[in-house]
Amino acid sequence: MMQRDVASFAFAPAVKVRLISAGFLTAKDICDLRPTELSKEAGISQQEALEVLQEVRRGPAEQGAAESRLTALELLEREQALGTVITFCSALDQALGGGIPVGKTTEICGAPGVGKTQLCIQLAVDAQIPGCFGGLGGQAVYIDTEGSFLVERVVDVATAAVQHCTLITKDTEQREALQSFTVETVLSQLFLFRCHDYVELLAQTHLLPDFLSQHPKVRLVVIDSIAFPFRHSFEDLSLRTRLLNGLAQQLTQIASQHSVAVVLTNQMTTRIGQNQSMLVPALGESWGHAATQRLILHWEGKHRFASLYKSPSQREATVPYQITPHGFRDVQLPDPSVTPADPSLTPSLNSRKRPRGEEGDPSDA
Amino acid sequence: MANKKLRRTGMLPELCDRLDRHQIETCQDFLSLGPLELMREAGQSYQQVQTLLRTVSLACAPTMVTALELRDRRSHAFFPTSLRGLDAVLHGGLASGTLTEVTGPSGCGKSQFCMMLSVLATLPRTMGGLDSSVLYIDTESAFCAERLVEIAQNRFPKYFSLQERVVEMAQKIHLFRELTCQNVLKRLGGLEEEIISKKAGLVIIDSIASVVRKEFDTSIPGNLSERSSLLSQEAATLKYLAEEFSIPVVLTNQITTHLSRKGTAPSHLECNVPEGKESPVSADGESGYVTAALGNTWSHSVNTRLIVQYLDSQRRQIIVAKSPIAPFSVFNYTVQNSGLELEDGENQAGSSHQGTDPGLQPIRVRTAFNYCLTHTTPTSSHSTGVH
Repeated sequence: MMQRDVASFAFAPAVKVRLISAGFLTAKDICDLRPTELSKEAGISQQEALEVLQEVRRGPAEQGAAESRLTALELLEREQALGTVITFCSALDQALGGGIPVGKTTEICGAPGVGKTQLCIQLAVDAQIPGCFGGLGGQAVYIDTEGSFLVERVVDVATAAVQHCTLITKDTEQREALQSFTVETVLSQLFLFRCHDYVELLAQTHLLPDFLSQHPKVRLVVIDSIAFPFRHSFEDLSLRTRLLNGLAQQLTQIASQHSVAVVLTNQMTTRIGQNQSMLVPALGESWGHAATQRLILHWEGKHRFASLYKSPSQREATVPYQITPHGFRDVQLPDPSVTPADPSLTPSLNSRKRPRGEEGDPSDA
Repeated sequence: MANKKLRRTGMLPELCDRLDRHQIETCQDFLSLGPLELMREAGQSYQQVQTLLRTVSLACAPTMVTALELRDRRSHAFFPTSLRGLDAVLHGGLASGTLTEVTGPSGCGKSQFCMMLSVLATLPRTMGGLDSSVLYIDTESAFCAERLVEIAQNRFPKYFSLQERVVEMAQKIHLFRELTCQNVLKRLGGLEEEIISKKAGLVIIDSIASVVRKEFDTSIPGNLSERSSLLSQEAATLKYLAEEFSIPVVLTNQITTHLSRKGTAPSHLECNVPEGKESPVSADGESGYVTAALGNTWSHSVNTRLIVQYLDSQRRQIIVAKSPIAPFSVFNYTVQNSGLELEDGENQAGSSHQGTDPGLQPIRVRTAFNYCLTHTTPTSSHSTGVH
């Protein structure tokens, strides 16, 4: 630590230049001086000298270092405690290993009209389901860049979710929890930000950590969509890539530091191939690395399917789903004509571990 | 808010001067740079740059509103179209604050629909209107004032029996004729001021596709992305206006032929149509079908997509292909003196929650049908060529 170069510290450039030209090259040269001595020798103000000394004297663990060392066991316990946000489609929840994971970023791509916004609205409601029903009992942040967020739809989805929980209430704890789980409370705990362009989106992401610290009960952050503001007025594509990478890093950090599930929706774009055009996720190849998990929603004929495309812990799978007036749901009837292209997974009984057991499981639609 | 000057964000003036010298004047310039560059240009340490980022972000970030406040604020959230079945499925009508697109083959009734909506918007609220004026941007010269008056007088005969009311209604509809992409963009740029000065409650653009398709030949490389960029820009401007003033925006689009490999065209919901719909088959075995124009990116940009298509020689259909709030639905209608009239008012899509990709939904065009013309078939004397 003592051998660390002065140039590698995060001082203002002018201060750095003065320190180096005065002959201070490593941390060892500085740390024994008093502020007034340093200020005279280097030609910097006393305030600046004091800041330099404080920075140099801080131990490595305090110099803005990231998370300290963790064993895999601690990480496992932490991940299990974090939980997931269910989607109300049990087939999809099973493929995801319980639902959208908290503490990670998940990307949802899909063609227009396939149901990305519907799924986001469902998740924003599901994040608020009380713990005794198998939910997280948290609040939700919804950053809308497209204008597709219609509050009337949220009312429909929230009403259906509240009704569902009312029907499966069995004991007093659940009955009490229902008192505070109504359509009004669901709406009041859904924090909406409408960003009209990428600058507002960047600004909001800078301010998100402060907001989450002030609202520690938030468990879900949705950005719908991250593609729209970046798909026009960008002649400089390298600037776009740089900004998107920065955003991705910030969101990953926010997800793990504040224990929230971050959900991003992406659009599809036409890629002209040799003699045909294909639909691929928008925002470029490098964006594919941004999120931890990637879910692709697509049409096959008249039916909608969700494919888990990239996940560090789950297998690739494709499941059918539908959008009903109540929201995002399983395809109900075991219709033999509704088979996905990749028949690797058929919806089976829910066998995942839940803190509450099979009773009160909201996914048994 | 992106163009807010840094001087107004509460940053120290000396710092603003210094950043000005590096051409960093607005919030957009500031936030587009990374922390290292900011440290260099501003001459500040990393911690100080983080504080500056927070100050600038606070100045241009949107304000938070809870969904509850939003619900209570939206008293007149939907604009009824007076087509009862359609309104029922759409939760009341066209959603204000969003873009609704009507697309379909020529002659199917898109401009008629727009003119009908214009009349409805000028009606008082007690009659289901918006009691406001209408900004109608016409790029195809399809707007016909006489037809407008005919629709008004036939749809609401009692109300428009007084001549002053007809005059008042016509005065509230402001028509702008724009024939090039540049003019359309300029008009959209100035639309905010028009909306405020004329107290507009509805904006109609008929059509958004015609100027774009005239000027952009997508077979030339690079034109496709340029066109998409222009359309996304227009969509963003319109969405901002729709939301800021809580008004519905209606756009019309055209159709195009989508060529794909045989067998991969998606099947669509068959709704009481006669068999024999043939799609054009090209020489090398690729079949094509007709679908909405302007591509996939545009399909993402609109919030609601209504497709009109032909059913037979008299009847047409209106399909809700994409909506954040309504399921896939089909309604039959005819075009009459009074504008569009729904048949029976019942939804023919059935109760299943299926649908198709709104960007790929095949659209039925007029050439696929035989007309039953009213005059008789030719007699044998004609067929032998004897007059």
